Amino acid sequence: MKSKTDVVIIGGGVTGCSLAYMLAKKGIDVVVAEKNYLSSGATGACGAGIRQQWSTKENTELAIKSIKIFESLSTKLGQDIELRQGGYLIAVHDAKEMRQAEKNVNMQRSLGLKVDILDSDEINDVVPVLDVKGMAAVGATFCPTDGHANPFKTTFAYANAARKKGAEIYTHTKVTDIKTINKKISAVKTGKGIIKTNTVVNAAGVWSKKIAEMVDIKLPNVPFRKEILATERLKPMFEAMVISFKDGIYFSQQEEGHIVGGIPIPREKKGYKTMPTFSFIQHMSKTLTRYVPQLKHINMLRHWTGFYDVTPDARPILGEIKELKGFIQCNGFSGHGFMLSPIVSQILSDFITDGKTSKILESLNVNRFKGKKIDHEMYVVG
Amino acid sequence: MLLRIKKHPIIDFKDSERISFYFNDTKLHGFKGDSIASALHAAGIKKLTTSLKYDRPRGFFCGIGKCSSCLMKVNKVPNVRTCIAPLNNGIRVETQEKLADWPDVEFKSKSKETANVDILVVGAGPAGLCASLEAAGQGASVLLVDENQTVGGQLVKQTHKFFGSKQEKAGTRGIQIAIDLENDLKKFEQNGKIKVMMDSTAIGYYEGDKEKQHKFAVVKREVYENTLYEVNCRAAIFACGAMENMLLFPGNDLPGVYGAGAVQTLMNVFGVKPGKKVIMVGAGNVGLIVSYQLLQAGIEVDRVVEAMPQIGGYHVHAAKLRRCGVPILTSHSIKEVYGNGKVEGAVIVKLDNNWQPVKGSEEKINCDTICLAVGLTPSTRFLYQVGAEMEFIPEAGGYVALHDDSMHTTIKGIYVAGDSSGIEEASTAMIEGKIAGLSAAISLGYKKKGDSSLKKQHMGELDRLRAGPFGEKPRIGKHKISKLLGKRHV
Ligand SMILES: Cc1cc2nc3c(=O)[nH]c(=O)nc-3n(C[C@H](O)[C@H](O)[C@H](O)COP(=O)(O)OP(=O)(O)OC[C@H]3O[C@@H](n4cnc5c(N)ncnc54)[C@H](O)[C@@H]3O)c2cc1C
Ligand SMILES: Cc1cc2nc3c(=O)[nH]c(=O)nc-3n(C[C@H](O)[C@H](O)[C@H](O)COP(=O)(O)OP(=O)(O)OC[C@H]3O[C@@H](n4cnc5c(N)ncnc54)[C@H](O)[C@@H]3O)c2cc1C
Ligand code: FES
Repeated sequence: MKSKTDVVIIGGGVTGCSLAYMLAKKGIDVVVAEKNYLSSGATGACGAGIRQQWSTKENTELAIKSIKIFESLSTKLGQDIELRQGGYLIAVHDAKEMRQAEKNVNMQRSLGLKVDILDSDEINDVVPVLDVKGMAAVGATFCPTDGHANPFKTTFAYANAARKKGAEIYTHTKVTDIKTINKKISAVKTGKGIIKTNTVVNAAGVWSKKIAEMVDIKLPNVPFRKEILATERLKPMFEAMVISFKDGIYFSQQEEGHIVGGIPIPREKKGYKTMPTFSFIQHMSKTLTRYVPQLKHINMLRHWTGFYDVTPDARPILGEIKELKGFIQCNGFSGHGFMLSPIVSQILSDFITDGKTSKILESLNVNRFKGKKIDHEMYVVG
Repeated sequence: MLLRIKKHPIIDFKDSERISFYFNDTKLHGFKGDSIASALHAAGIKKLTTSLKYDRPRGFFCGIGKCSSCLMKVNKVPNVRTCIAPLNNGIRVETQEKLADWPDVEFKSKSKETANVDILVVGAGPAGLCASLEAAGQGASVLLVDENQTVGGQLVKQTHKFFGSKQEKAGTRGIQIAIDLENDLKKFEQNGKIKVMMDSTAIGYYEGDKEKQHKFAVVKREVYENTLYEVNCRAAIFACGAMENMLLFPGNDLPGVYGAGAVQTLMNVFGVKPGKKVIMVGAGNVGLIVSYQLLQAGIEVDRVVEAMPQIGGYHVHAAKLRRCGVPILTSHSIKEVYGNGKVEGAVIVKLDNNWQPVKGSEEKINCDTICLAVGLTPSTRFLYQVGAEMEFIPEAGGYVALHDDSMHTTIKGIYVAGDSSGIEEASTAMIEGKIAGLSAAISLGYKKKGDSSLKKQHMGELDRLRAGPFGEKPRIGKHKISKLLGKRHV
C-alpha cells in the first residue's frame, strides 16, 4: 500500500470509482479505499435508472449532462456498461399532478430536453403491458432518451480505466480514522496502513455520515432502507422505466427479461436496516400486478435491500467543507446517485485539480442547510 | 412406452390411472403419479427447453427442482419446473423457446395466509422428518414444508438396503424408511401437532423480532392460484438437503447428461428408464449404487469411470457390479460428450498421476445417457440469508453454517440438519434431525424427563456411525466446524 498520495477517495461505489478515473486522467495521484468490494454498497443494489425528468432545474441540468457522458462512456472506458435508452414513463394520476407535470415539462423543454406529454390512451403505445385503468393514470410524461445501465459494469469499467491511468484501488480496506493538523487533512488511517494526504473525498454513500464524524463534522444525511426485487425472465416486451410518484413504484424490464423494481413500504423508519421485509413483497406484488396484471403468474426470483443516503432537500452534498481544508463531500445522493455520477465526478475533479468552482457546485455545498430556504426535489421515487 | 420399466426385482410398478395430456399439439399419455418431465421422458421427449445464451437444447439434469433446466409452459403459465410439477389430466405442456411469452390466462388472486407455529422445518427428507417428529413428540407445534409432491426427500428413490446401525434402520430399504417415517408423521398430523405443506417452497427470510421470532415466506402452489404464507415461528430447522455437482466438459449440457439423483428419481420413483446405455461417472457410493439400480431396471451400464486412482465407495457395492460384468475404470474420466440435440456418445480418457489426460488413450463409446455421480453441495442459501456464519469445509462438500453439537447455528433459534449441514448420509441425517428437533423444542421450553439422556444417546449414535473408515470425511468436516465455532467464541 502507498504511504503518500494526492487524494484519497473513501468508497468504491460508482461515485468513488468515476471520480478516481476523472482525477487519474488529469494526472492526479489518487487512491480509493473500499471496505468491501467494488459496488458492494448502494451501487450494487440499485435500479441504475438514468432519468432527466426532474422538478428542480439543477437536477435536470445535471442529468442531461450525465446522459451525454453516459452515451459515449462504453467507448471511452473501453468496456461495455450496457447503456440502454428506453425512456422513462412517469404516470400522472390526476389533474393536480398533471399541472405539476406540465410545469416541469416546460422547464425541462427550456433546457433543450425532448419530453412528451401522453394522454391515457397513448400510454400503451410506449408500454403495451400496462393496464392503464388498473394504474389509474390520466396521462403520463415520457422522455425517450432516459434509460439505464448496468451498475456493476459501469463501476468496474470506471475502476479499470482509472487503474490504467495510474489510480490505486484498494478493496477490503476500511478507513478507520482521518488525521488533521491545523484544520487541514493530513492522513487517512486504514485497516491496512496509513496514507498521508491533504485531500480526502467522502464518497462512502450512506456511511458518509460516519466518516464525517471522524473529524467531528455533522452531516444532515439519514439512512433509509430501500427494497427491490427481480422476477423470473420473460420475453422482452418493453424498454421504458415506469414510475409513479403517487404510488412510489418504479420498474423496468432488463434486456435479459427480468422485471426489476421497487416501492417504499408503508411506514418505513430511518436506520441502518438491511433485512428484507415481508411487507415489501406484499405491497410490491399488489401494486406491480395492478400496473401489469399478467405478472400475477410470474414468480419473484430475488429480493434485496440497499440504502438511500437522504438529505433534507433530496439533493446531493458536494464540495469542500468550510471548516476543514481538504475534506470534500460527495454523498447524500438520496436515491439518484448512479445517474449523476459521471457529471458529479467531472465537476469535483475540476474543483480538486484547478480549484474551479461553479454555481451548481456552490449550490450543493452543505452550507445550504444553514438557515436558508431550500429548494426541495419533489420527484423522488422508490 | 418403451422406456417404462415393466419388471423390477424390488419395486412393484402397479398400473396406475392413465392420464392424457398435450405436448405442443401432440396428445400423449402418462400415469397418475408421474411428474410432467417423467411422462415426457417416457414418451421419448428429452429436450425440454432451450438455453438462453447459446440456444442449445436442454433436458432435465437434477430431477429434484434445483437446477431450472426443465422450465416449460404448463397451461400457458411459464417457467414451471416440470421435474417436480405433477402430471394432471388434460394439461397442455409447451416448450418455451428461450424466454417465455407473457401469460394470458386468468389468475385467481388469493389473500395471504398467516401461520404461527413453534418450529418451522424446511425440507421433508430424512433429516426434516425426524426433526419434526422429535420436536412434536416433545409437544412443540411444527410446520413442515417441502417442494415435492411426496415426503421422504432422497429416500423415496433409494431401493437398496441401508448400512449403519440397527436403530437407524440398517438393513431396511430407503423407500421403506420413507414409508415408516410418513406413517409416524400421520399420527402427529392427526393430533394437530404437525402441519405438513407439500408442493410448497420456503422462499425467503424476512425482518421480524429476531430475539423472539423468525419470519419466513412460503408459497403453496396450486393450479392458477398460489398462496403466500407468512410464517412466524420461534425456531426454524433447515433440512434442505443438497444439490448435485456438475462436471466441466464439452457437451455437458446435452439432454441425456443427468445427475445421479435424477436418474434414480426417473427409475425408482416414476418407473421410467433414463436411457438404454449408460456411462456412470464417479465410483463413490452413489455412483456404485445407482449403477446397480440401473442394472436392476434392465438398463445397460457400459462402465463406471472414476478420476481417482481408487474406488471411493464400499467394496461390497463395487464387487456386486463387477460380478454383473460392469468394468470400473479408475484414473479415467470423461473428456467430452457428443450428439445432435441429445447424447449419442462420449469420449473417455485415461488420467496420469497429475490428473492430466494421457494422449492417445481416448476411447469413443456410443451411449445415450451419461450419469454424473460426482458429489453434492449442501443447500445453504437460507442459512446465508438469516445471517448464519458460513465456512468453506471441503470435507462437508462446500460452504456450511457453523453449528454446535445441538445443530444450532450462530443465529439464535436457527438449526440445521442433514446434508444441508454437510454432505453425509441418510442415517446420520436422521439423527442430526432428531438432535435438532429435540434441541429446538427444549430451547422453547418443551421439556420432558430424560431429555438430556436422550440427546446423549443420539449423539453417541452419531459418533458410532461416523467411527468407521467411511465416516472419516464427515468426521473431519464436523471436527473442523466445531473447532471454528470454538475459535469464534473466544
Ligand atoms: C434499491 C435502490 C434503487 C436505486 N435506484 C437508483 C436508480 O434507479 N438510479 C440512480 O441513479 N440511483 C439509484 N439508487 C441510488 C444509487 O444506488 C446511489 O445513489 C449510488 O449508487 C451511490 O453511489 P456511491 O458510490 O456514492 O455510494 P455506494 O455505492 O454506497 O458506495 C459507498 C462505498 O463506500 C464504502 N465504505 C463505507 N464506509 C467505508 C469505510 N469506512 N472505509 C472504506 N470504504 C467504506 C462502502 O462499502 C461502499 O462500497 C438506488 C438505490 C437503491 C438502494
Ligand atoms: C444414490 C444415493 C444413494 C444413497 N445411499 C445412502 C445409503 O445407503 N445410506 C445412507 O445413509 N444415505 C444414503 N444416501 C444419502 C442420503 O440420501 C442423503 O444424505 C439424505 O437423503 C439427506 O437427507 P436430508 O434430509 O438432509 O436431505 P434430502 O433427503 O435431500 O431432503 C431435503 C428436502 O428438502 C426440500 N427442500 C429444500 N429446499 C426447500 C425449500 N426452500 N422449500 C421447500 N422444500 C425444500 C427438498 O426438495 C428435499 O425434499 C444416498 C444418496 C444418494 C443420492
Ligand atoms: S430443476 Fe428440474 S431438472 Fe433441475
